Amino acid sequence: MIVAESLTKRYGAKTAVDDVSFEVHPGRVTGFLGPNGAGKSTTMRMILGLDRPSAGRVTVDGRAYRDLSAPMVQVGALIDAKALHGGRTARDHLVVLAKSNGIPLTRVDEVLDIVGLTSVAKKRSGGFSLGMGQRLGIAGALLGDPRVLLFDEPVNGLDPEGILWIRNLMKRLAGEGRTVFVSSHLMSEMALTADHLLVIGRGRILADTGVAQFIAENSVSHVKVRSPQADRLAELAAAAGWQVSRDPAGALLVQEVTTDQVGDLAGHNGVFLHELAKVEASLEEAFMRLTADSVEYHTGGTPPKTAAEAVPGWGPPTVADRIG
Amino acid sequence: MTTTAPAAPTALAPGARLTFGRILDSEWAKIKTVRSTVWTLLALFVVSVLISWGIAALAASDVAKDVAEGKKNDAPDLLTVGVAFGQIAALVLGVMSMTAEYSTGMIRTSLTAVPWRASMLAAKALVLALVLFVVGAITGFCCYFLANLMLDAKDVGIALGDPGVIRSLIGTGLYLAVLGLFGMALGVLLRHTAGAITLGIALIFVVGGVVGLIPGKTGDWIAKLMPANAGSQVMSVEAADKMFRPWPGFAVFAAETLILLLLGTLLLEKRDA
Ligand SMILES: Nc1ncnc2c1ncn2[C@@H]1O[C@H](COP(=O)(O)OP(=O)(O)OP(=O)(O)O)[C@@H](O)[C@H]1O
Ligand SMILES: [Mg+2]
Repeated sequence: MIVAESLTKRYGAKTAVDDVSFEVHPGRVTGFLGPNGAGKSTTMRMILGLDRPSAGRVTVDGRAYRDLSAPMVQVGALIDAKALHGGRTARDHLVVLAKSNGIPLTRVDEVLDIVGLTSVAKKRSGGFSLGMGQRLGIAGALLGDPRVLLFDEPVNGLDPEGILWIRNLMKRLAGEGRTVFVSSHLMSEMALTADHLLVIGRGRILADTGVAQFIAENSVSHVKVRSPQADRLAELAAAAGWQVSRDPAGALLVQEVTTDQVGDLAGHNGVFLHELAKVEASLEEAFMRLTADSVEYHTGGTPPKTAAEAVPGWGPPTVADRIG
Repeated sequence: MTTTAPAAPTALAPGARLTFGRILDSEWAKIKTVRSTVWTLLALFVVSVLISWGIAALAASDVAKDVAEGKKNDAPDLLTVGVAFGQIAALVLGVMSMTAEYSTGMIRTSLTAVPWRASMLAAKALVLALVLFVVGAITGFCCYFLANLMLDAKDVGIALGDPGVIRSLIGTGLYLAVLGLFGMALGVLLRHTAGAITLGIALIFVVGGVVGLIPGKTGDWIAKLMPANAGSQVMSVEAADKMFRPWPGFAVFAAETLILLLLGTLLLEKRDA
């Protein structure tokens, strides 16, 4: 189990992780979801003792990472695909890691086989593709057969087959009773993999909930209506106190009503309908809505200082977001 | 859910945990599995031996003339003269052992596997020092045999048993080992290959010579205390004028390096990786 208490990380004036508290439990895949620059990697680096928290603390199975006596057996981590020396062969890289923790070298060949790198075990990792580097990183994480696993954007660079493979791997690891904590910026990916969600935006936890519950709570559906008398219908809907907007094609989008209500309204007023449909918001939209709100909340008190600050948390990465 | 899953020992490796010996073993595996180590050590050996041999061959007749005329016998200084050039390789190896971890990103994986940072640095230092001592001493002896062959041809050879000769050859290994550690310390402090190598070379070749120009007793002391000036005395058969005696000089160099390494350890412990 991973426990963070009031975890905070500041880089100069920038607060990357802001007073965050959460628990990651064993036996399920916990998705760590947030847009670029939200603070996912920073949080993971603090869990692994790589970055020192500015305030608060985080423990793995009750201990600070740096106090672990068998780190690779207790925690396996994939930080990023490029956290290795490209001059070393894949096998040598794993041998170096295994030796430090007293893991038998037979295990090195086992994990190479698990991640499908046996055929390139004697090749220097510098020539590996992003996906192969990612697999080697995963091999390193699995080396100690750890109880807790951390993956920072593991599907990065993987092909569809690789994505399916890591999805199943994570589920299997959680099924064996391990703690699996995986970051992503894709809600759709998490919906397929995770059982539990920890949503982070601008360094703050926005949601800590089951995936199903998150979807139920956050996906707002609306009714889409196409009508030759759209303007008239929009007036009627507004008069009924409903929220109405238009999509680019000119169809009306009516919030928080049923198709029955819209159909009845149109019928009573003699408005022709060409289409009447209930539209479920996608998970991605639910997620964007949530993180966008967090930005409003953040900038509500103080006006944004720079253009970059004014950009919602979800969007193209800004230069500031990419540093580090 | 408040129950914590036990950090159960896995069936895989009940004895798997960190020990200093294992960290040493891992660092040994690290240094020997990158090609640059072999190339750098080869450069150290070849450059030192070839230059010692070449200079001895060129200078042997002059030395013989000086000795015949009763002037100072320069033969002892020629035995390992090439190490003055080969030593750059030891510095580079030391710097790279640390900065390559940063430039490749390996440091994050290393510190995840071994979060005991001071122990990792100590293990790295021990492995590096041992490798450089062995290769350095072998280089010293090879320099001696080849250079002495040239000197012997003009009857100004120096016997291995003469005072200070064996000490200077073992001292070559010792000096190069500490020089490597000096580079490693600069590497952990600066975390940048080019910066650390530049600073190291500047300290050894430029500053060490320039401070000799400062007049008076202060200047003499500053020159004496410069790392390479102090440390290299252990490599010479007879210590140079105005410099420390061989062992005190080496002790000064080792102490300076130790201070830098301790500073580096503090920073490594404190800084984000
Ligand atoms: N070493 C650092 N120095 C300064 N700022 C940093 C550093 N590391 C991260 N940051 C900043 O902290 C914020 C959080 O970054 P972090 O890498 O944790 O985000 P992330 O959620 O992992 O994003 P991504 O999805 O892009 O990987 C960003 O604004 C980033 O610029
Ligand atoms: Mg990240």
